[in-house]
This record gives sequence, structure tokens and C-alpha cells, in this order.
Amino acid sequence: MTSTQIDVAATAEAVVSAPPASPQSPRGRRRGPLLTVMLWICSLYFVLPLFWLFIASTKDNEDLFSTFGLWFGNRFALWENLRSVFTVQDGIYAQWALNTVIYAVVSATGATLLAAMAGYAFAKYEFPGSRALFSITLGAIMIPLTALALPTYLLFSKVGLTNTPWAIVIPSLVSPFGVFLMRVYAADAIPDSLIEAARVDGAGEFRIFGQVALRLLGPGLVTVFLFSLVATWNNYFLPLIMLNSSSLYPLTVGLAQQQAASAAGGGSQALFSTVITGSFVSVIPLVVAFLFLQRYWQSGLATGGVKA
Amino acid sequence: MNKAPKAALTLAAAAVSTSLVLSGCSSAAGTTGGGGAAAAPLGQDAITKALNTPTTLTFWTWVPDIDKQVKLFQAKYPKIKVKVENVGQGLEHYQKVRTAVKSGQGAPDVVQIEYQFISSFTLTKSLLDLAPYGADDLEGDYVPWVWNQVKQNGGIYAIPQDTGPLGNLYRTDIMKKAGIATPPATYDEYAAAAQKVKDATGSYISNLPSNDPAQVTGLLWQAGIKPFSYDGNRTVGINANSPEVKKVLAYWQGLIQKGLVSTDGDFTDQWYQGFASGKYAGWLTAAWGPIFLQGTAKGTAGKWSAAPLPQWARGQNASGNWGGSSDAVLASSKNPIAAYELAKWINNDKSSTTKFANEQFLFPAAKNVLEDPAFTGGKSSFFGGQQVNKQFAEISGTVDTKFEWLPFMDYAYSAFNDTVGKAIGDKGDLSAASDAWQTKLVSYAKAQGFTVK
Repeated sequence: MTSTQIDVAATAEAVVSAPPASPQSPRGRRRGPLLTVMLWICSLYFVLPLFWLFIASTKDNEDLFSTFGLWFGNRFALWENLRSVFTVQDGIYAQWALNTVIYAVVSATGATLLAAMAGYAFAKYEFPGSRALFSITLGAIMIPLTALALPTYLLFSKVGLTNTPWAIVIPSLVSPFGVFLMRVYAADAIPDSLIEAARVDGAGEFRIFGQVALRLLGPGLVTVFLFSLVATWNNYFLPLIMLNSSSLYPLTVGLAQQQAASAAGGGSQALFSTVITGSFVSVIPLVVAFLFLQRYWQSGLATGGVKA
Repeated sequence: MNKAPKAALTLAAAAVSTSLVLSGCSSAAGTTGGGGAAAAPLGQDAITKALNTPTTLTFWTWVPDIDKQVKLFQAKYPKIKVKVENVGQGLEHYQKVRTAVKSGQGAPDVVQIEYQFISSFTLTKSLLDLAPYGADDLEGDYVPWVWNQVKQNGGIYAIPQDTGPLGNLYRTDIMKKAGIATPPATYDEYAAAAQKVKDATGSYISNLPSNDPAQVTGLLWQAGIKPFSYDGNRTVGINANSPEVKKVLAYWQGLIQKGLVSTDGDFTDQWYQGFASGKYAGWLTAAWGPIFLQGTAKGTAGKWSAAPLPQWARGQNASGNWGGSSDAVLASSKNPIAAYELAKWINNDKSSTTKFANEQFLFPAAKNVLEDPAFTGGKSSFFGGQQVNKQFAEISGTVDTKFEWLPFMDYAYSAFNDTVGKAIGDKGDLSAASDAWQTKLVSYAKAQGFTVK
């Protein structure tokens, strides 16, 4: 144990003090075992829960509680679990999934558009109070959504919007972080000269935004879109307090409700494997979205990183 | 589930429950007089008229598949439409009810309420007294101890739905290995059996969860202890550290400290595993326990048996209750007659109560099922062919009838977890912990403006 630690420390030192690799073969540079080990640990850290989720969704209730968590149980029950996910309580899971998709996509699209407009305006226009407004936006990043949920509930209840889809979509349209990101991104991605040129050619400000700026903002837009998509997809507390009808629930609240039904005592339904399989199914679309949009996402982050 | 929102909900619940806001309700029938004023029983004409008027009722409940019962009701009264909504379970559900009542918007007509929380709603005058609507006549239809749970100062505030009289579920195979032929009849025998089970098999005779005030309360209830009382107004009685309470707790402390009883939190992964793996040789649990086990510990089918709880003195025959709930009508309901008929019908008509017992496996409160041979005669293969329902139906008759609650059980339970529950988990001094619980309860009650007897 100790000797490995020393090895690791020595390697670390070697890595740190190693001279810059020769320009001829930057890719061929040997990466120290420390880095490799760290990366493996990181990937394990992120992948293990997903792996567990997958394994658990192939088990029935009995195996869930009696077999080792990170390997298959005695019986492969994935198909029947999937069937029960979509049939329990008259298949309300499909309704929840649809709700989640609608809430997440509508909110993310709206949030991205608003953030792009606001970020662009902050980056490219000088107007009185722009600094103050931007500071307020920055400050808003620090307020967790959960803290705003109760005041939002009271406001929505006053205007009679609770227990409607609007109660989820409207609060999710605002993304201070998205505004911040878009401002940083727009400042660098859109050259002022381009805007000047467009103005000289007689384009109006909205046309410049729509036809010039939006195109250049592509990677940034995808980044903000993914952020808001994930945030709304995973939102639990807001729908929990806003909604009362099961038919309006998103997956998060619905699954939590089924989970609670497992531990209800009287009248309980042992839905453990159903809930776990349901959770597994519910993360698949997000994983797919990330894989497909990865290209934009990576270039978006990288570009911001270099230029900022 | 996330901890923070739950804490926030509890806080908010406490805040709302103590604000004593009467929702904006004006219909004469909807007002709940303290003590059920001199409201004359409604005439049959009014009821018939209400049931033949097109009405939409909203019903908040977390009973799974309750649509089945509601469909029966709608078939009987086609003019009444019922919207069933599940807004959460337990504290989440109550928080939503309180918020809706307070905001005067979107409140349901009929709500599910567990017995221990009824008084927290009558405190805020949120529940309709059902006696003038005919609930008085239902007394004979339910087990006496349950009826006392929904009755307060002459008013009837809910219709009982299900119950959880306590019994002793145990693994016959493990007991046999330990040389125990019959279930322990007294707590002394139970302690001796615990030692034998541990020595012979390594299993714990049962688990006393560190996170479940309701089970411990049920065990106190069995011992004839009344730690709480409430006059329906502003006076509460709190005796959470009486010598009787301490005697029961000292007994369990002994078993815990000798390593004969485990203290895993219940409804946790570890606990489910404990049943599947035979870590626990038994469970002192409610009448809903048998079905619950079948869902979570299928592999142990056929090895279980059910018996009454051990007794504090030989020859006694007493039990307590853990769980169960009722359906109440909110005072703000615009259709109180129809709402009452819904709450009553699904919990009183035999076609509906039988479904509750046989399809949702709620242990019945209504005698029309409890005394029905079709129900009690059923044999459970999970319990080696035993007539488990019959066993628990008999136990239900032995539950002490006079148990009362505080109008702030959500606080009482969370304070329990911080004191006695924590001491159970730490294998610590339960007597001192009950003193701490008592102190917390008294100061909370005073801070909320109650007079403490």
C-alpha cells in the first residue's frame, strides 16, 4: 500500500516536472499512470450508479433484496419489469413520460431563446443600467430554484395557474445561468464588425439577431438548451408543489409517488422493481440527447474556454 | 426522497396548521360548529335531491386503484362524477390539503386522513362534522375502537377506511430451529425466546426501527398507556415519559442492548433485505403486514405464521393499532351531502369494503367484512395455510378503545425521531430519551398556545 503511494507520488512529480512534449508528436505523449487511474476512478464514479440502475432493473423484487447489487440476480426480469412499468395504474407512466418531454422541450426551447436574446443584448448593446441588470442576473444564479418554489407557488395560486402545465413551464423559462453563458459566448462569437456591416447593409436589429447572430451562436445555444432540458427534466420540487392531478405529473413526481406506494404499509403495492425500471427508462432519453448533441456541446464549451 | 423538500414541507405544514385560518366557506351546511351544534339530521329528501343533481366531487387519496370503488359509487349514483387525485402520501398529502384549504382554491371535497392526524384538521376547523348528515347511525357498523378515533366531542369527522391492529408475525422455521414450539404469550417469554433464537440461529427475534414512531406508539397503545390527550379545543395532555412508558421502553432497551433485537430503520433497503435473508425471525406489526411481506419477501413464502402480540401479564389479551386511515369531508366543500355520501358509501357498502379488503388488501374497519366468513375464512399459503385474516380480525377486537392523539402529531413524530428514535438506533438510554421527548412536546405545545394538562 505504502509503496504504491510512493510510486504514485513519484509519478505525479514526474508528470508535473516533465518538460513539454516535443511538438512533433503531441498525441504520442505518454500520460502518467496517475492520470489514467484518476480518469478510471472518475468514470467508475459516474458510470457505477447507472450500471447499478441497469442491473437492478433486470431483477424482480425478491432478487433486489437478496442478491449482490452490481451483478445480475437469479432471474432476468427486465422484460416483465418493462411491461409492468407501462401497465401499472393503467399505464400512467406513458402519460408522465409524455408530460416530462413536453415540459422539458417547451421550457428548454423557450429558455434558450430568451437566454440568447438577453445574452446577445447584454453583450452587444450599451444601454443605461446594463451593468446593474447583468449583476442582478448574475446574483440570480446563486438563488437555488428550490428556494423560489414556494413564493412562485403563492403567486401562481393567486392567478389560478396551479395544477396546470403553465405552472411548470413558465418558471422554467427563466435561466439566469443561460443568460450569463450566452453573454460570454456572444461577446466572442459575434464580431462587432459583422453587426456593423449588417447595419450598413440596412438590416434591422431583429433581423441581425435572427439571421446573423443566432447562426453564430449555435454551439452556445445547444449548451444552454441541454442545461435547461436537464434541469426541467429532473425538476422535482416545483411540480411536486404545483401539481395535484396525477395526469399532469412529470416522471420525477410520478415515480416518487409509486415509490412511496411501496412503503405505504396498509394498501401498499410492492412496486420496487417497477419504480427502478421506470427510473432507468426515464434517463435513457437524456443520455441519447447528450450523445447526439455532444459535438455541439463540446465545441461550445471549448470555444468559450479558449476565448474567455 | 430528497431530505430538504421534506423538511421544508414539514415546516410549512406546521406553520399552516397553527395559523388557525378558517377557509372562506359560507354555506350553512358547511359550517362546523364546535361540538356539532344543534344541527338537525338532514331529511331524506335533501339527500335524494343532492344525489340526483349533477355534481363533480374531488377526492384526494393515495389508496392505489381506488378507482374501482369509485366506479361502483358512480354506477350507483350516476349523476355524481368523482375526480380521484393522488397528491402524495402522508405528510406531503396533508401539506397539500392545508395549502389548498388556506389558499381557498382547489381544495378537494373528500380527503384521506390517517387517524392520528384527524385532530390536526379539526383544530383548524377544516373538517365537516358528519353527524348531521347521518354518520351517527353508522357507529354500529365499525369496530368500537376505530369509531372512537373518528369521534370528537360528539362530532363525527371521518369515516373509517382501514386499520392496523398489531400482531406478531414470525418465521416458524427459525423458531423451530431455536426449539420454540408456540409463539411467546408474554413479554417475559418473548425475551427468553429472543435469547434462544439468537443463540441457535443468529437471527434477531424482531427489529425495533429507529425511525418509526408509529410502531412504538402502537406498542404503547397495547400496554394501555395514553401518552397523549386532546380536549378538542386548546388543552392537550402529554405524558410521554410516564413510568408506564418508561417500563415499556426499558424492556426494549434491554433486548436491544443485549443484541437480541436489531434497530434498522424500517422501509429501508437494509430492512427489506433483512426479511429476505432471515435476519429477522419476526415482526411485531399491523394487520397490513402479512400482505406487505408477501410483496417484499416472496422467497420466504410458507414459512410465516401470525399470532397475537405477547402480553404484559399472563392471561391478558390486548393490542394496539399501527396505521390505517379514514375519509373525511372538508368544511369548504360546496357539495357536502354528496361528498359525505361518497366517503360513507365506499367505506360502508359491502361491495366496496369487500373490494378494499380483497383487492387493495386494506385491513377492514367495517364489521360487514370483518365478520364475513368469506373474508376471515381465507387461507394464506404465504402463512402456511393459516387463516391470517381471522387471526387479525380477532386481534382487532382486543385493541384498547380509548387511545387519543395530539393535534400536532407531525411534530410529535419528528421529535420522537430526534429523541427516542435516535436512542434506539444508538442503543442508548431510552428513559432519558423519553424525558427529552416529553420536554420537546411540552414546550412546542406551549409555544403553539395550547394549555398543557
